[in-house]
Amino acid sequence: MKKYISLLIVLLLATTTTGIAQQMQQKIDMRIDSIGNAKIKMSMTMTAQEWQGWAASFGNNPAALKREIERGMPGYFLDDFKLEKDEMNRSFELSLNAYGACDIDKRGRWTVETDQKDANLTKITDHKYMLVSSPMEYGGALQQTYTIEFPEAATDIEVDKDALGNSIFEFKMERPSGGFNLLRLSGIALLVIGGGWTGLSLVGKKN
Amino acid sequence: MKKITIPILVTVVGALLLGGSFLFSSGGEGSLDVDIVKTQTIMPAAHNVYANEDALNGKYFLFKAKITNSSKNTLEDVTVRYRIPGFVEWTELDVIGEMFPGQTASVRCYPKFPESIAEKMTESTEKAEIEITWDGATEDEMIEEEIGFRISNRSEYMFTNIPASEIAGWADVYNNDALLACFVTPNDPIVQYYTQNIQEKILMGEAASVSKDPNEAVRFLGGIYNATLLSHMVYSGTKGIPETLQDISAFSQQNRLPREVITGNTGLCLELSLLYASILSNAGLDPFIFLVPGHAYPGFRLNGQYYAIEATGIGGEGLGKISSAEEAFEAGMKQLNEFFQKQQQGDPRYTYVDVHLVNKMGATPMALKDDNFLRKKVDDIVASWGKAGSLPKASSGGNTTRYVSNNGSASNTGGGGGGGRALSFAVPSGWQTMMRPMPEVGILTAQALSPDQYVSVSVYDIAVSNGSDAMYTISNVLANYGMSVEFEMEGNNVYGNTYSSNGTFTWMGKTLRKNGGIRVVAVGAPDYAFNQYSGVINQVFNSIR
Repeated sequence: MKKYISLLIVLLLATTTTGIAQQMQQKIDMRIDSIGNAKIKMSMTMTAQEWQGWAASFGNNPAALKREIERGMPGYFLDDFKLEKDEMNRSFELSLNAYGACDIDKRGRWTVETDQKDANLTKITDHKYMLVSSPMEYGGALQQTYTIEFPEAATDIEVDKDALGNSIFEFKMERPSGGFNLLRLSGIALLVIGGGWTGLSLVGKKN
Repeated sequence: MKKITIPILVTVVGALLLGGSFLFSSGGEGSLDVDIVKTQTIMPAAHNVYANEDALNGKYFLFKAKITNSSKNTLEDVTVRYRIPGFVEWTELDVIGEMFPGQTASVRCYPKFPESIAEKMTESTEKAEIEITWDGATEDEMIEEEIGFRISNRSEYMFTNIPASEIAGWADVYNNDALLACFVTPNDPIVQYYTQNIQEKILMGEAASVSKDPNEAVRFLGGIYNATLLSHMVYSGTKGIPETLQDISAFSQQNRLPREVITGNTGLCLELSLLYASILSNAGLDPFIFLVPGHAYPGFRLNGQYYAIEATGIGGEGLGKISSAEEAFEAGMKQLNEFFQKQQQGDPRYTYVDVHLVNKMGATPMALKDDNFLRKKVDDIVASWGKAGSLPKASSGGNTTRYVSNNGSASNTGGGGGGGRALSFAVPSGWQTMMRPMPEVGILTAQALSPDQYVSVSVYDIAVSNGSDAMYTISNVLANYGMSVEFEMEGNNVYGNTYSSNGTFTWMGKTLRKNGGIRVVAVGAPDYAFNQYSGVINQVFNSIR
């Protein structure tokens, strides 16, 4: 089952590329958590003309924006959409959650697909990669810069290829700790205290 | 005794809490939460799309399930399978090796229906059964779900799969337009047979896809039209393409397949468009279907230019006027001009289906079997071409009529404000021409823009005596608008870049003597798109005279 991280965020760009268009830049941060969900943040600054077109189509109609993204990413279950506009600087930031963004196979190996052949990937840190792409649909007029951040629990992160030659990330990830188990810790504490106390009482009685 | 009672009690309570912590974390019933989103209707004609998770960005799934491990245990080998009784046997969709507590998986279903679904002539309501299990799951814990959906008949085409209450604009109304390509059946043996007959009997040979000659391609388009005309095919109008957003009744249409249009000898605008697209594709051309409010017409793209014909010009005796192939082509090109103007104005009702492009994206046609009865009917139709004797008067010379100029560009049929040669170059078909686009820049006589607005041609008229002075004048004028021009001259040819806050525009042009001054005609594109459009740029450049 495929999961794409090449989010079709370009759908956000309802503006048509006009005449002599300047190359547009879009920044997409994808932070994967310890159970394979992703928090996605997209940001972009536009020219005056692009901003007008975007505002008319989506910027002033967040419901339409949400719908377009949901349709553009049919494989995901998305929620928690938040749009922040900086009208003075003609930029916006959109954040959302994507559930089940990673796969985990029968051997417990996690994968994230890029849906891109020979993706232009750069390792920034052990848990952070950057991918730059120019979707063909926009004829080079749009450059998307993704940063993909894996959780600290992810180990052995490798870039590989799937059967179709697309670049994929593979990694291992242990089960996240169950957190503070009050019941278990209390039980252990009482066992230790009770056991010690009983022991001391028995020794004291003997003496 | 009393002294050790309390510590023993504390120890026992501790042991109970410890045991309980394991007991309460052992999951139990309902440890997976499942949320299912389903499609309402499956169109048999598009069954190849529903089967392909890569097709059209994977938006045509039967259902998708959000599965969340709501227990405190890690579940192993969570297996999702489904079946559609009568169509698809139990099929494993996904095996998730491990599901941690709180982890969510998104599983989509792209059912591979049997090919026989393409023969389905009636609609029905079906159900899909979904089963989710994992290692160690008891029968009570196993999850079973059922979803109902509709399978339409093979002829039904739904313009959109978005519920009426959700429709907000024309993009929503045309949400399924890529699926029209599933009704374009160039590999149908009957369509192939019909195409061969047109090539042989009507056109006496045809090589448009090999020669890439627009004249030859337009002759082929006229040949298809004449074939329908000679067989007395008639246009039968009915409610079809939606005209308004409230036109819910027209959000689906029964489309006869191209083979049924051929043998039934009648078709709606959309059905005729599908027929033309099938034949054009079969002949190796690049078919397009243009959709406008209430209407559709076919065409093709060759060497970056668009051509169209009004296929419904065949009319019918009961409908009055029957157009010749030439008239139908002229009407098509006129509509095409209007189409691109509307599109450039941002009218979302004007859209097209690039059949081969969406084929590549996974919208592939259904497979149809050969049929001797239908072949016989094609033979009868072909025989009627001979009986007809000749084409209607206006198209009697249809086989030799040249619809396009020798340089390969269709003549600009208006709308842009001027014929191509008046501007010293041939305006490609479908381009928008603007006279005096910037009145404040007096030397800029006209500009022409390609339909996708990447390539543009500028025509400057300057009252100077040589090309070099003309170029310096242009540079000075453009400098007032924040543009910097860098150029190099080779005889009458001039090459250069224009830099502005919008980026770099790369161009090439010629200087011509005109009306006692110098005319500069320059064609180009943004630097990053220049190579991509070099074909059409060279074509325009070579036409400058």
